[in-house]
Amino acid sequence: MKKYLVISIAIILGVMTFLPFLWMISASFMSTGAANTYPPKLFPDKFDFSHYQNLLTRLNLARYLLNSLVISLGVTFFSLLLNSMAGYAFAKYRFARKKRLFKFLLSSMIIPGQVTMLPVFLILKNMGFINTYFAIIVPGMASIFGIFLIRQYALSIPDSLIEAAKMDGATELQIYFRVILPLCKPILVTLGLFTFMGTWNDFLWPLIVMTDSSMYTMPVALANLMSEHVQDTELMMAGSVITIVPVLIVFLALQKYYIKGIMMGSVKE
Amino acid sequence: MAAVKLINVSKVYDGKNKVVHEVDLEINDKEFVVLVGPSGCGKSTTLRMIAGLEEISEGEIFIDGKLVNNVQSKDRDIAMVFQNYALYPHMTVFDNMAFGLKLRKFSKNEITERVNHAAKILDMEHLLDRKPKQLSGGQRQRVAVGRAIVRKPKVFLFDEPLSNLDAKLRVQMRAEITRLHQRLEATTIYVTHDQTEAMTMGDRIVVLKDGIVQQVDSPMNLYNRPANKFVAGFIGSPAINFIDGKIVKENGLAFISREKLISFQLSPDNSEKLIPYIGRDVTLGIRPEEFRIESKGGYKINVEVDLVEQLGSDVYLHFNLEGIPFIGRVKPTMDFRSRKEFELYFGSEMIHLFDSAEGKKIN
Ligand SMILES: Nc1ncnc2c1ncn2[C@@H]1O[C@H](COP(=O)(O)OP(=O)(O)OP(=O)(O)O)[C@@H](O)[C@H]1O
Ligand SMILES: [Mg+2]
Repeated sequence: MKKYLVISIAIILGVMTFLPFLWMISASFMSTGAANTYPPKLFPDKFDFSHYQNLLTRLNLARYLLNSLVISLGVTFFSLLLNSMAGYAFAKYRFARKKRLFKFLLSSMIIPGQVTMLPVFLILKNMGFINTYFAIIVPGMASIFGIFLIRQYALSIPDSLIEAAKMDGATELQIYFRVILPLCKPILVTLGLFTFMGTWNDFLWPLIVMTDSSMYTMPVALANLMSEHVQDTELMMAGSVITIVPVLIVFLALQKYYIKGIMMGSVKE
Repeated sequence: MAAVKLINVSKVYDGKNKVVHEVDLEINDKEFVVLVGPSGCGKSTTLRMIAGLEEISEGEIFIDGKLVNNVQSKDRDIAMVFQNYALYPHMTVFDNMAFGLKLRKFSKNEITERVNHAAKILDMEHLLDRKPKQLSGGQRQRVAVGRAIVRKPKVFLFDEPLSNLDAKLRVQMRAEITRLHQRLEATTIYVTHDQTEAMTMGDRIVVLKDGIVQQVDSPMNLYNRPANKFVAGFIGSPAINFIDGKIVKENGLAFISREKLISFQLSPDNSEKLIPYIGRDVTLGIRPEEFRIESKGGYKINVEVDLVEQLGSDVYLHFNLEGIPFIGRVKPTMDFRSRKEFELYFGSEMIHLFDSAEGKKIN
């Protein structure tokens, strides 16, 4: 009895959270103006794909989609590579002042991102990276949170595994790529997902460093669109759908591993 | 196959903790040498220095005549089996064994052949497709051994490979590793804290204490002629009985325990060596099996047995002498539970005398 109660509450809550999302998709297919009628419609009378056509052709959204994709994938790839190398080193290598260096890095996490925005912008400008993909990829290539996450995970890998690989004849790089990385897969997926979604959804930083409209990312482009086409709700919804879908696909595809990642270590295997 | 030689090898941690002291050791080609000692005595550290996993603070290590102090593990041509098996969790049993061969760029055929051969020797051909977590402890141990043998290294190193197994499996794997050694004839260095493992497996045994080599000898010599009190106490189960006393001169030389419950004439063969110890504190060591229930000459002691343990083949008699617990090991020739008072006999040939202060063996 109690079980059914919990399930029905969960279903109600689920529907309530999902409804706006559903309506966004539904409205994106309504013909112009139909979304604002009273009483509001839940489903389009007939499916109208013109907004999508508009967005991808006239409004050049394909270009922004590509920008977002290149940037997000680039940041994810490089940050996973560098964070895992650094995290692994902090977990398993012996070197002078390791602890102190790590604490120093951790303590820098309390500095709010906004504080460093201006200096980072100036540095990137001097390097000539403004209005290039590098302006977002380079600052995102390593994160202390990521290093911390991987380090904590790598600590649980027994030293003897690394030693066994050494005796088996592996070089340091081979140990990293063929033993450490595969073992870190759950945490890499988790971190990769965070990074991808964070980068994809980021609005402020791309807005600052991408002044040329051809370099806009999806959220920036969408915001821009909004100011030009305030009344066109259906167009905006179609834009939102295009923005969200890639993240959704990535999330759903990796969900299985992701859950494994955050559950990791909670139970002894 | 190769000889291993340690010259004056020491290990110092953090510039001040010396945990291995000037170890000199020569391990012959094809020999099975066991490093044994209590926990923390530096066995693993010594082994890891040979493996190249730990820097050598002082001294030199030679493998097959070649100085390896500055040679990386992977170039020393040795294989090691770890206590926790250290199998790669993300690889199948086959890949676990093949990993080292792949890294060394063996051909596919050669790899398959070697892995299959090892799997056959270790009777685990049916496990090749499994992941380590699908294996039992004993099977994992086998894979770990298999991973070592496929490479056909010059030297095998084992660090307490059986201590995570249950008692029965341990006995079985012990025999299996010994057989494997006879078959492969590879130089093997085996670390354990279990003296039974050491005694049953080793051609020679190195007894370590606090990082210092106490004695290097064959199992029988270690048992019958321990170099000092520590070795005598460490080797043998149940452990040797110790009692403090003095050497006195009456007619010949005699041993008298503190409260004079044990006193007997020492055989004249050793008097030469014992004369300097007259009047000094010495410790007598008698192995449990030296006590006999029937008189065939030898010395008699009267004891009150407070516990009888019947093992079937043997009987352990527990008693106290001068407040020190003793164990006698006798054959089950009678019902030992029916009474408490016994007369026990022992001969003077197989007794051990140690300098109480230094622990050195003196007879
Ligand atoms: N990385 C290290 N840093 C400092 N001291 C260490 C380190 N590794 C081992 N030691 C010390 O060296 C001594 C010997 O350790 P070792 O692991 O060789 O002992 P062991 O004989 O193998 O013991 P066990 O039977 O418990 O495995 C111990 O006192 C240990 O505390
Ligand atoms: Mg050890």
